[in-house]
Amino acid sequence: MLNEVESAEVSNGDEEAQMISVSEEPPITAGDEVIQALREGVRLLPPQAVKDLLSIGVCVQCIFRLFGVHGHNYSCFSILQSNLYAVLGELIYLDKQILDNTSPKEYSIRHSSKDSEIEPPICSICLGILQFFYYDDKEQPVRKNCPHDLAASISEVVKTEGHQIDNFSFEVSIPPIIVENEQAVRFYMESKYGSEPWFHNTFRPECISVKDALKLYVVTPLAMSLDIQSSPSSFHVRLTYSHAKASSRTNFSEGIQDSKRRKAGEKMCSDTKKSLHGLLEDESSECCKLPLEKVSQPCSLSITCYRKPIYIGGRYLKYSRNVSQTRWIIDDERMGEASVEEIIGGTIRPMCRGDNYKFHAAGREDIDVRMLGSGRPFLVEVQNARIVPSEVAINDIEEKINNCKKVRVKSLKVVGTHGWALMREGEMEKQKQYAAIVWISRPLEDEDLQNICALKEMKISQKTPIRVLHRRSPLEREKIIHWMKIERLAESSQYFLLHLCTQAGTYIKEFVHGDLGRTYPNIGSILGCMAEILQLDVTDVKMDGFNTD
Amino acid sequence: MMNGHNSESDHTKILEDEELQRLLVPDVCHLPLTPPSAVDSNFVCYFAPDFIKPGHDQYVYRHANGLCVIGLAPMHVALQDKGGVTAVDFNVGKFDRSGIKVTGKRKRNAQHFEHNTALCKVCTNDNSYIVRCCVKGSLLEVNDRLIKQPKLLNTSANREGYIAIIMPKPADWLKIKASLIGPEDYKNLRALS
Repeated sequence: MLNEVESAEVSNGDEEAQMISVSEEPPITAGDEVIQALREGVRLLPPQAVKDLLSIGVCVQCIFRLFGVHGHNYSCFSILQSNLYAVLGELIYLDKQILDNTSPKEYSIRHSSKDSEIEPPICSICLGILQFFYYDDKEQPVRKNCPHDLAASISEVVKTEGHQIDNFSFEVSIPPIIVENEQAVRFYMESKYGSEPWFHNTFRPECISVKDALKLYVVTPLAMSLDIQSSPSSFHVRLTYSHAKASSRTNFSEGIQDSKRRKAGEKMCSDTKKSLHGLLEDESSECCKLPLEKVSQPCSLSITCYRKPIYIGGRYLKYSRNVSQTRWIIDDERMGEASVEEIIGGTIRPMCRGDNYKFHAAGREDIDVRMLGSGRPFLVEVQNARIVPSEVAINDIEEKINNCKKVRVKSLKVVGTHGWALMREGEMEKQKQYAAIVWISRPLEDEDLQNICALKEMKISQKTPIRVLHRRSPLEREKIIHWMKIERLAESSQYFLLHLCTQAGTYIKEFVHGDLGRTYPNIGSILGCMAEILQLDVTDVKMDGFNTD
Repeated sequence: MMNGHNSESDHTKILEDEELQRLLVPDVCHLPLTPPSAVDSNFVCYFAPDFIKPGHDQYVYRHANGLCVIGLAPMHVALQDKGGVTAVDFNVGKFDRSGIKVTGKRKRNAQHFEHNTALCKVCTNDNSYIVRCCVKGSLLEVNDRLIKQPKLLNTSANREGYIAIIMPKPADWLKIKASLIGPEDYKNLRALS
């Protein structure tokens, strides 16, 4: 059927070389019904206008878009581009009017050889995007003949990255000038054919955008190739098209581009429309003059895929007094022998095969303070994880971390993004419980135990401790000591264990030794003697979330 | 109180509590009889004997973060007067030092003082003495508790009776450090036990 269409080369000094050719072989993969349906749709199009569009460099895919010929077009993804051109060719060269007006010269060149297929020029609207023509990341020109082939290339990239996925979200980013190109073509068509009877029915003001058309072409074959579904997902496959040389043709639009952050495509539409409309009225404007700037190169395409961050949370305990919470390096030298962050995050990240990790904890403790009891809630954010760990994998991670003895994790599990909010809330509001080894300058009396025990919800005022005054604002902060309890130590009269529960943000060490009187009241002032703190341990971070179920 | 399905978590909790107790309670025989004070643990102590004027012994406690706490050394003349210190007045020089409000991490509004700028006047029954910065830098804080409780200087000049906190630039610190002496040398100098 397709073989009947004659190939012709239209060449003319002022016009772009157009080629509508067709192979004389039947199409490789089916879609005969689709082609037939396309033909039906195309039959209704105005031949002269279509020829006109071809002559100004618009590709067949864009022509179909502008005239609202779709549906069938997108459903069969192995239709070759040459097939599409052939269908259009039928329309044009079977039109009597065109035939009458076409010079013999245009018909003189016939191609019977299927080898000499000349590629159509790069579309002046979509810059080759819908023609599946682009520069790959090695700057090599690539032409795909059908959506299926493009999907195959994308699929290869995804498979190489090795993500374990059930579904994917598909994103496309295109150069903004494409929207301008389309607007320019629209205005050209309106000014030339606006009064034609078919115009308002066939050439509608809105049509599928280049971006949406590309998605329609690619999403289904891609989903099939990867054997997963396209649906809202944390895993994103992204096509980013960029065009170095295509610059905005109007200063007006340039101004708009500079002053606004825009998503390539849609948002520009109405702005550019207005700007071009305004300029159309102004005779001296150049922007809508056609031919559009000749496009000699296609876009560069970057295919990327990534998973949005996953969060693994739990509680950690720190048994060492020489391990800081986060990596701490001064002048190229590490403080302490390790950090909780690196022990936990550094174990989780490779098990997820992620690119990076970030460690977040609900509060922090000094390097020389142990974190005991129920543990401190934390979240590890893993970027671009290739695998989301299973329960078994999580158990392995827990075991691996716990083997190091310095740090232990509990209740480790993958949490959703709500874990984040839980943590932030816990930092500010919650109470913390401590145990300190305290020395006083005189023997402990029973009365002391009672006095201390009796103090409930005691307000203290803390000036910014001297040890952090160099990097924090000099303020006086009011804090609450919820309760305290002294535990005597068998062999000592001046040492004891002080258990206390305080408001988040209280500096415990300073509450014991007084920080030169800048924290008041303090243990020394309450007991009427000097007090020093030897050791501090955090025994509980009261937070409801992040517990074993 | 152990019913069927709770007993395991209760049991775990008990074990955890026992473990916690074991971790918390220290071995007392490993603890020092008298531990170092917070000042000794966190600061390096320097002394400036006869600072500008004879008998005006001051101390400079320098923290690892660079901040310096300034105060009266044990043999400062003011502390030897009969009756000890009776009043402290920060209104010396051009303005009242106790009125400065330093704000923010960058310590804006801090006054930049020279090493011999006056910080305050310490009064006894018979005399008054000027206390000076000792270190060139930004004045972050004066101990305004001394206004209401000047006797702190008599009981704990080395702790709650500190005079001020100054933030010197690294270069300025090095300059003054050369003229300061350590605690041992100060003790020997003043023939203290």
